Amino acid sequence: MACVNAKGQLTQSAKKLLRAVGDDSLSPQDISKKAGIPLFKVRSSLRELKDAEYVSEENGSWQLTEKAKKVLEEDN
Amino acid sequence: MSSNEIHQETQVRSLPRIGEKAPQFEADTTQGRIRLSDYEGSWLILFSHPADFTPVCTSEFIAFQKIYPELRKMNTELLGLSVDSISSHIAWIRNVKEKFGVKLEFPIIADLNKEVAQMYGMIMPEESSTETSRAVFVIDDKQVIRAIIYYPKSTGRNMQEILRLVKALQTTDEHGVATPANWQEGDDVIVPPAETDELAEERMNDDSLNCIDWYYCTKKLS
Repeated sequence: MACVNAKGQLTQSAKKLLRAVGDDSLSPQDISKKAGIPLFKVRSSLRELKDAEYVSEENGSWQLTEKAKKVLEEDN
Repeated sequence: MSSNEIHQETQVRSLPRIGEKAPQFEADTTQGRIRLSDYEGSWLILFSHPADFTPVCTSEFIAFQKIYPELRKMNTELLGLSVDSISSHIAWIRNVKEKFGVKLEFPIIADLNKEVAQMYGMIMPEESSTETSRAVFVIDDKQVIRAIIYYPKSTGRNMQEILRLVKALQTTDEHGVATPANWQEGDDVIVPPAETDELAEERMNDDSLNCIDWYYCTKKLS
């Protein structure tokens, strides 16, 4: 797992990606530009984060779930 | 050993051809599980190496890392592959950082079951049936194979040639031209040959071209 560590916690790179999404609904290309993460890595991470229910997708745009928002809030 | 086992050991698929769609795969890498389709929209250099913790491969990976920033400016990613495990790759990456001071930033596929290697014809059984050779597949942003290079185990690849190749292919796409031998960015390019006698005649009278003869015309890119 590249986005979630052995303790079930999000990795720093996963949090960086989630923070880039924020309150928006973004395409992988937008996230790549905003976070400065290569597009292939964004696509692969989004798949993993979707399986772990941190993001959801609708018509090619990605949003944070309540679960992701809660984790980011706890981090602040 | 049964004849079936012998057949399985020596089975080699033909490599994909230039101009074909690159065969899709999903594989475990040092940066997570990656699909080839994740690279759509970017150019990709998919390359294999025989084994981690070997000198020629180490020199190549350091050299690949050195051209990675320049490749990324050309919208081109790197993806390595060998039949070693993720643990081996990670240990090697950490060793290269510790001993050579170079952080390898691109992912490396752990192709333990040789699925991708066989799909891309990266194994040369006469050289080694257990390791991948030094193959390079240049895959464009539409996931079409645009160039293939093979080197033997004993010879490290030339990174400047890989950079030149990607630049030449992208120049061809952008300007509809070809590139001559030893072409470098900024050099004159070749205008594709005329397809009719009339066009050949027109071309010979075109002042914007430098024509040695109707089939050999070059021009500068503005």
